[in-house]
Amino acid sequence: MPTGTYTEEVVCVQRTGTLYDCLELILDRGMVIDVFIRVSLVGIEILKIDARIVVASVDTYLRFAEACNRVDLEFDRSSTTVPELLGGVASGGGSPAGRMATGLGKKKTKKAVAGVGEKVKRAVGADDDEEEEEREERESRPRRRTASTRRRAEPSEED
Amino acid sequence: MTAPASTSRSVYVYGVVRASHAVPPGRTGVGERPAPVRTLRAGALAAVISDAPARLRAKRRDLLAHQDLALTLGRDGPVLPMRFGMVAPDEESVRRQLLGTQNDCLAALERVDGRVEMNLKALPTEAGLGPLVREDPEVSRLRTAAHRAPGYEASVRLGEAVARGLKRRAATAAATVLAELSAVADATVHCPEVEGCVLNASFLLDRRGQRRFEGAVERLAATHRDRVELRLTGPLPCYSFTEGRA
Repeated sequence: MPTGTYTEEVVCVQRTGTLYDCLELILDRGMVIDVFIRVSLVGIEILKIDARIVVASVDTYLRFAEACNRVDLEFDRSSTTVPELLGGVASGGGSPAGRMATGLGKKKTKKAVAGVGEKVKRAVGADDDEEEEEREERESRPRRRTASTRRRAEPSEED
Repeated sequence: MTAPASTSRSVYVYGVVRASHAVPPGRTGVGERPAPVRTLRAGALAAVISDAPARLRAKRRDLLAHQDLALTLGRDGPVLPMRFGMVAPDEESVRRQLLGTQNDCLAALERVDGRVEMNLKALPTEAGLGPLVREDPEVSRLRTAAHRAPGYEASVRLGEAVARGLKRRAATAAATVLAELSAVADATVHCPEVEGCVLNASFLLDRRGQRRFEGAVERLAATHRDRVELRLTGPLPCYSFTEGRA
């Protein structure tokens, strides 16, 4: 990976003053002298390494399984050229066209989805990019002009 | 400085330094009512000690006191930090111990002189979930199975495979990271296994090389960001390099 990308995000957490990430060193490393007594470390388990992934827990497994499903959705969305509009319509639920589009999206049939996208646009009026906007604009028709202007900017074959 | 403690009293030992090491005055140590820190010279060495608290528990405050003192001492010269919680029955036994191990200690001090310990932990990262789901045949198979027949059992199996896969990806990347960093460090040691980590290693570095090392870790973290999460801690007292042998 080229340099420069990591400066914007923290890719490596670095700490000096905290105990959490070096507790085992203070407790299990360092010089030991056999004839010395070691104080009791009872209660030390309060301080634990802040590991975000605790392996071997059923809760974690279930969370991962759930995350797999989310990955499915995210992957489908980013890897296919589903128009943004489709996402909005699909999340709107209710409309049969929306449900159909979602189903096809899952099968990753790129072309078909793009085609259906156009059909969906027609079916729902093709002037509402977002569900929210649609709801607001139903009351105020004049604002429709904004929506159709935006639509013209998109490459579209339907008009 | 307070009056010297009675020789029969047990002492808490923070670390060993050269006899010439200037120990900063006014420091206090571990315990609920922290006792003043003092030095105990024996031959070419000195132990940094305080009266042992009557009842010492490994509390956060005490661990920090131990750590802080070791770090502070490290600024003025090499120090061999003790493991937390080492209590000697009396000053005389500390003196005997220092004289008996003088050569080893001096060699170890020489080794850590001007150097710091940097600790690196590597953990699996969920950023690798996407690639794992797409690339790992086992995860793929179990995912399909879970789709066909959803349920608790199928989810647990899938999740287990994901955890294994993420761990494997992290371990592979961590091995590369370890090899690259070892090449620029003066010494490398594996540290105690820590739950959730695929690698726990410490590096001995020249103080002047610290920035360069951090840069290397950042670059590696960026390169392997969807495989492993790296956590760098330091500069630390050289807990992992207290033995004279290289």
